[in-house]
Amino acid sequence: MQIADHSLTARQHLLVSLCAGFAIAPHTLHVPLPISLFLIFLFVWRLTALRYPQFQPGRWLLVLTTLGGVILTFSQYHTLIGRDAGVGLLTVMMILKILEVRRRQDLYVAVFISYFVIITHFLFDQSMVMALYLFSVMVCLTALLIEINRIKPSATTLEPFVRTAIITLQAIPIAIVLFVIFPRLSQPLWNLGIGSSGTTGLSDRMTPGQIAELIESPEVAFRVSFVTEAPAAEQRYWRGLVIWDTDGHSWFNRKDQVRERHMQLKAHGEHSYEVFLEAHQQRWLYALDVPVSSKQRFRLSQDLILQRREPVRQSLTYQVRSTTEQQNKVVMPGMLQRALELPDNVTQRQFELVEGWRANAKSPREIVELALSHFNKQPFVYTLTPPRYLDNPIDQFLFNAQEGFCEHYATSFTQLMRIAGIPTRLVLGYQGGEYNELGDYFIIRQYDAHAWTEVWLEESGWLRVDPTAAVAPERIRFQLRNDFGTEGSPAMFQLDELGLVGSNLRRFAHMLDNANIQWRRWIIGYSREHQFSLMRNFGFDTLTPLQWSLITIGLIAVPLLLVALRLVLSGRKQPLPEIIAYDRFCKKLARQGISRKTYEGPMDYAKRAIGERPDLTAPISRITALYIKVRYGPNADKSQSKRLLQQVRQFRPGRQKPGT
Amino acid sequence: MTRSALYRWFRQFRRQAKPDSYGGVTVKARSIYILPTKQGLLLAVVLLAMLVGSINYGSNLGHLATFLLGGIWITTILHTWRNLLGLRLQPQYVDAVFAGESADFCLSLINPSNLDRFAITLKQKKNFGDSLDIPNNEQLPIHLPLVSKKRGLFKLPQITLHTTYPLGLFHAWTYAEIDLSCLVYPKPAERGDPPVTESYTKSSSGDRGVGSDDFVGLRTFRTGDSPKQIDWKAYARQQGLMSKQFGGDRHLEITLDWDLIPEQEPERRLSLLCRFILQQEELRHAYAMKIPGLSIASGLGSGHMQKCLSALARYGLADADR
Repeated sequence: MQIADHSLTARQHLLVSLCAGFAIAPHTLHVPLPISLFLIFLFVWRLTALRYPQFQPGRWLLVLTTLGGVILTFSQYHTLIGRDAGVGLLTVMMILKILEVRRRQDLYVAVFISYFVIITHFLFDQSMVMALYLFSVMVCLTALLIEINRIKPSATTLEPFVRTAIITLQAIPIAIVLFVIFPRLSQPLWNLGIGSSGTTGLSDRMTPGQIAELIESPEVAFRVSFVTEAPAAEQRYWRGLVIWDTDGHSWFNRKDQVRERHMQLKAHGEHSYEVFLEAHQQRWLYALDVPVSSKQRFRLSQDLILQRREPVRQSLTYQVRSTTEQQNKVVMPGMLQRALELPDNVTQRQFELVEGWRANAKSPREIVELALSHFNKQPFVYTLTPPRYLDNPIDQFLFNAQEGFCEHYATSFTQLMRIAGIPTRLVLGYQGGEYNELGDYFIIRQYDAHAWTEVWLEESGWLRVDPTAAVAPERIRFQLRNDFGTEGSPAMFQLDELGLVGSNLRRFAHMLDNANIQWRRWIIGYSREHQFSLMRNFGFDTLTPLQWSLITIGLIAVPLLLVALRLVLSGRKQPLPEIIAYDRFCKKLARQGISRKTYEGPMDYAKRAIGERPDLTAPISRITALYIKVRYGPNADKSQSKRLLQQVRQFRPGRQKPGT
Repeated sequence: MTRSALYRWFRQFRRQAKPDSYGGVTVKARSIYILPTKQGLLLAVVLLAMLVGSINYGSNLGHLATFLLGGIWITTILHTWRNLLGLRLQPQYVDAVFAGESADFCLSLINPSNLDRFAITLKQKKNFGDSLDIPNNEQLPIHLPLVSKKRGLFKLPQITLHTTYPLGLFHAWTYAEIDLSCLVYPKPAERGDPPVTESYTKSSSGDRGVGSDDFVGLRTFRTGDSPKQIDWKAYARQQGLMSKQFGGDRHLEITLDWDLIPEQEPERRLSLLCRFILQQEELRHAYAMKIPGLSIASGLGSGHMQKCLSALARYGLADADR
């Protein structure tokens, strides 16, 4: 049942094209270039056809274009299903739909597809800015629907937006209720085949120079909010993954060595915290050295790496307990052998260097100390822009250039200790982090990436040794400053000596980041676990589907009833104050037996009342005259209606009896 | 139970706004029906798809967007309902028509509240009236053209006041019974000559068609009329064959008499009488009318014509329907 089908005006045609264009726009950045160009071409075509109708494609041309669009999509993705291809196809289909919008019915379809396209953006970008942008597009689309549903166009552009705002504000409580209470699945309904896109971050194969590249990126790796007291900067080693094997050039883990077995540490971690991890397309999760347990029951491997079954493709929130005490005595068969394996390109001078330490040391611990003091005393330079070591990087670094970054120190130290017969492994992760006072959490960025070593000592187990700290202890205690000198210049460290502008800027940045983390924590990171803990707070352990439905309906009904009440009341007219006053006057007279007839005007009524009660002549005529003046006279103001009310209040016909 | 009986049984549950003492209807909260439109159902399907997608990709923002639109979907029910609530439909007037013509029922739609109302449509089955936006505290005229079928009183059937504002997702409507009737004259029969009782009275304005001194007017051609008498100019104007009439100083009084009509079927008789009245008015000849139970004295002009036609329209109707 449709109102007499009035077709769309040129303005509405233009608006729907623009709104739908805005809804698609961000996708042009991540669909392949030919598809982007196709989208832009069709969009321009549409705008041209709106201006010059002779360019509007006929039916056959549309069919051909549609076919072309499908073929183009298929040629780019070699499939039409899956996330990326699906989005590509959706955008192509949508722009084609815009091209052929003629009637109201088409406009609805175009708007609804736009709504759908809006949520597909969240597969690529979940930032607050994007959400705000898409929210505005959604409001525009809705305002457009409101506009085409009226008969006459709105007087102002603002009007449909005001109406949309009212409806949206009323819908928000319902949306929040549903968002909080709607059950979340921990597994997807079906396999998604999300393609991994390149993200910066550590990878499971480390070649010296790789971390130095990361150092250029201020991108956030993860954020950490401590429940218990946060450890000091020099204790904040964020463990990512452990690397055992090397070929003399790169460091990696050989695939054939299965080392994943779930293990449970008995220790109670004294640090409890929540991590907000950005998607990094890897399976390992960052945790404070050494993780003990996680609320989400992630696997903890033998080398104490927290792992997930699936790569982290979307930002993830999890809770971990860690201990900073070095009581890591986990050792498995073959583990120490593996921690002693050397590559083929170990040179003679490396053996000689280590031999010198062995001669002077009584215990492995002393060898470690001698090695560290070697790094300290020799003219080693800690730099963000080390020269490129192409052939046998460790040897060149140790004996030729002696300029390097944490990874160079960590890898060489690892290798030297293995030569000395001390089992060692390389740990990759992050170190430090910037504290955000506003939100009481740490921001760990890509430039905090770090590599260090763990050595096996009989008496203490796996012990963290950071050779970088021996060269540049500031690296561990302060933030790296993100500006780069010329090649080989020593790295600068950021001390808390910012000027007024600098500190305000930093404050502002922290504020933004805090908003971001709250966004992540409560919106993007809202999960099954949050839901369960919320339910427990309200005293429910589990909910049957029936209970769940009843609660949902109840919680939605309340805001809906309020909206209904508001809608009904908002149109109701408040009678004018002078009418209220006059009504009261009439009631007072009616109590004296002189009730006003429906056909009687105020003057006639007054005449009749005075005739019956001559003693009340003065007040009746005064009140009636004032009422007529306020109600019907020109230039009536509020003070006069107030005066009327006052006079009516003082009017007490019952006090004076007639004839007395 | 037959189908129509079932329908009647069902109808008793139907909420319908009855006319008040002014003949109009004010839309009450409980008399409004509301259902999703095609577009509303389509959006529901799209929302479901969005929800499935969001669940599958574990996208919380997708959930949020879906739920927000879902909230809007639900809230729109109330807004659509509110758009009708409290409106008043007041009968205005309707001009009498001949059976088979379209009667233009004029009503006024009143918005007594402080809220603007939009896209309110009046309709009766498949007949659409106007769609209007009504600003707050205003009243606007509404026209609902309906084809009249038979002679008599054409009571405005139950009409539907409906709206899909604001988003076109829901369709709210209410049945209103408005107290407004259109008088429907009989459908005029084909042209022909009235069988008349002619009585001559002396009159200063002369007679009609009997004498041959003065031209007094035209009448339709009858076989046997001399070709000289034919008004060829009128024929050229495609007004049919008309004979010029000449008369003397006597006045011919024509009475259109029910009893003189040879055909027996009453409705046919009424149709013929109706046509004769129109013809007499066209010729500007005074006429009187006699139907069972009523005779109207001779006269001419629109007032007289309406009186006669109304008598025909009301002929034989029960008193209650008059």
